[in-house]
Amino acid sequence: MKKGLTFTSILLLVSAIALLAGCGQSPKEKESAQTEPANSQVQTELIYASSKDINDMNPHLYTGSMPAQGMVYESLVENTPDGIKPLLAESWDISEDGKTYTFHLRQDVKFHDGEPFNAEAVKQNIDAVQANAEKHAWIKLSTKITSVKVIDEHTMELTLSEAYYPALVELSMTRPYVFISPKDFKDDGTKDGVSGFHGTGPYKLTAHKVEENATFEANEDYWGGAPAIKKITSKVLPAGETTFLALQKGEINFVFTDDRGADSIDVEAMDQLAESGDYQVVRSEAMNTSMIVANSSREDSPVQETAVREALWVGIDRETISKDIFNGTQTVADTLFSANVNYAKVDLKKREYDPELAKNLLDQAGWTLTDGEVVRKKNGQPLAMKLYYDSNSSSQKIQAELIQYSMKELGIQLEILGEESTSIANRRATGEYDLLFNQTWGLAYDPQSTIAAFTSDSAYKHTTSGIAEADELYQKIDAVMVSTDEASRQSLYADIMKIVHDEALFIPITNGRVTVVAPENLDGISFKQTQYELPFEQMNFKYIN
Amino acid sequence: MGIYIVKRILLTIPLLIIISFITFVLINLSPLDPAVVVLQAQEVPQITEELIAQTNQALGFDQPFMIQYVNWIMAVVQLDFGNSYVSGEPVWSLMGPAFMNTLKLTLVSSVFIIALSILLGVICAMREGKLLDRSVRGVSFFLTAMPSYWLAAMMIWYFSVKLDLLPTSGMDSYRSYILPVIVITVSYTGIYFRTVRSSMLSNMNEDYVLYARASGLSEKKVTLHILRNSLQVAVSIFCMAIPIVLGSTVVIENVFAWPGLGRLSVKSILSRDFPIIQAYVLMLAVTFVLFNTLSDIINAAMNPRLRKEF
Repeated sequence: MKKGLTFTSILLLVSAIALLAGCGQSPKEKESAQTEPANSQVQTELIYASSKDINDMNPHLYTGSMPAQGMVYESLVENTPDGIKPLLAESWDISEDGKTYTFHLRQDVKFHDGEPFNAEAVKQNIDAVQANAEKHAWIKLSTKITSVKVIDEHTMELTLSEAYYPALVELSMTRPYVFISPKDFKDDGTKDGVSGFHGTGPYKLTAHKVEENATFEANEDYWGGAPAIKKITSKVLPAGETTFLALQKGEINFVFTDDRGADSIDVEAMDQLAESGDYQVVRSEAMNTSMIVANSSREDSPVQETAVREALWVGIDRETISKDIFNGTQTVADTLFSANVNYAKVDLKKREYDPELAKNLLDQAGWTLTDGEVVRKKNGQPLAMKLYYDSNSSSQKIQAELIQYSMKELGIQLEILGEESTSIANRRATGEYDLLFNQTWGLAYDPQSTIAAFTSDSAYKHTTSGIAEADELYQKIDAVMVSTDEASRQSLYADIMKIVHDEALFIPITNGRVTVVAPENLDGISFKQTQYELPFEQMNFKYIN
Repeated sequence: MGIYIVKRILLTIPLLIIISFITFVLINLSPLDPAVVVLQAQEVPQITEELIAQTNQALGFDQPFMIQYVNWIMAVVQLDFGNSYVSGEPVWSLMGPAFMNTLKLTLVSSVFIIALSILLGVICAMREGKLLDRSVRGVSFFLTAMPSYWLAAMMIWYFSVKLDLLPTSGMDSYRSYILPVIVITVSYTGIYFRTVRSSMLSNMNEDYVLYARASGLSEKKVTLHILRNSLQVAVSIFCMAIPIVLGSTVVIENVFAWPGLGRLSVKSILSRDFPIIQAYVLMLAVTFVLFNTLSDIINAAMNPRLRKEF
């Protein structure tokens, strides 16, 4: 037993030493040891917190982190507020019938492994994407590509089965039509994985410790000029307190909104960092619309009535949601698409918050409140509905509670249920819902992606199919996607937006924006058309502290 | 003794089979189509009927339930837990490193928990009812009752941000261990030292203590005698401390961004990466069974009566 006690005392001694070793240095020694390298690091390096690992960076699949993929890989063209601009393709020609696209590629581009970027590489990449076409069904272009031809070293031709105007927009997306060195292919393709991650982008992936961090270094040979920020590290940190503390300590110095549009620290924490003078908070313009989707095709549910949907719309106080729940970081949305979305400058009737109007609408539709009751009824059926929200989103829960309260005032019994996002997606696909929270695809994808989803069984088919104009709506959607004429596209989109707006199928709540928290002296912070990526290559430090 | 050990180990086999079956069944009770789950885990933006059929066939979900189970368990026996739905990588290649990271944290913490529990338990028992005993118990009650994530956040704020002594999170060097180990130790020592203390106290009233004192043994020797007997009870509890800590690092790992099993399991649960969840549940269950068996064997070795009863 003596041995046992000696063991215990050794343990205690060891623990004391371990603790002392951590705390031993005097604060001053510590400062000189740490602050200097930290400071010089801060000036050329960004360390951002991400709640997710970068995962598999195969650009032709969907598990990789989009901000990371955006740094490493590039597409043929780029989507900007001023329309489609050249990127890896310097220019392009579109045939009269809208079926053939000829791309003239940049000649000074190399993959990170030194392989030349040429028409052959483009063909191999697009073929690799097409070989896994089922997975890319969401991007309609994948169903329309019939062939990719190499014309010469720097010219390639893409042939479609029919004219498809959003082709260029879809080619500009973060994935899947981006390019990885064919040397990284496995079994002549990418669908079963890749052996390396060499793109053509401004940053190279140089190190990756799963679930810990990933390092990206500036591509000094980048065709667009070497970026000023030389090193970017993505550090896996849980959102919230730890991220905030790590920012305060300077272990990380950059944070931005995640894939789902959620901020990793709350508004008050951001304000506190900005007040300290070390950080700035930058917000993008509206990127997407968060909304409540109403299932018009659900039998026996009051939600299939237009008047009920309209009453819900005018009964929701979006001003309060924007101000009190989002502290103004999300702005009130009046329509499905914000005005900065292509083709979305359409004159639609504005539905202001007006509980009295909501009551009138319900009364007129026959949903009446008898004395002493709290829920309206029509032919004995109570005006009761269920609203599903993402249980992982704290803001959706609060919104749902607020809406539930407002509806009670109107005589609508709204049951709110929090579920995992996957199960909400499942409800959307099977039509088992009255109302659920959702969001539009976002600037770079809209209006075409959200609108294409109106006709898709796994997306909004249940939402849209119950209205009288459903067939007309679907015909117009089919027509707009193949239209080659700008004016007719404009008018078709306007009609589509008007139909769903008048029917109140998608009840807009707020417009989401991307938030960046960055060192105060970081310059050149801008945004892309998607909420998923940031143009890091345009950033630089104004001055050195 | 040898026979006891063999018997005891053989007994775990049916238990493990039952656990594996329950694990498999529970996860397959999910109302969602497994192919849809896989595709959602892979974040495929839009899931079509063709894709679902293709995935069902590719992953063998179209086969009868029992065949799926037998295939799974046969693979599991060879440590093949299948591939992650999300990354497509073998589950073991993801679980292995995460398990090692959590194990490191667990072992270091367990050593501290056991050492501190014995030390505090003995001291408190010797000073029963005195100020020292009462204050140690009071402080430990307070610390055990504190939510560990809160304690962790306060420690990070004070030691990492304010004093700038330690990293806030991650697993970079031995310095990264200090805060999480302290938080885990603080949360569990309070529970375990009480067991040592009460076991010491009940032993103190036994006849053999009276006899030892009467036969003129020094007080120090008497105490060691009591401790030896008291630890028998504690052994089984300490054996279970390791799997308990192993399974409960979820909160700590999330606060400290520790790349371990807890983090992996939460991530897998959120993305419904079933092969990883199954492997995680099974592995924890096996750890519990093994440590339980181990504690029985140690107890039997220390107390021959237990061997006979078996």
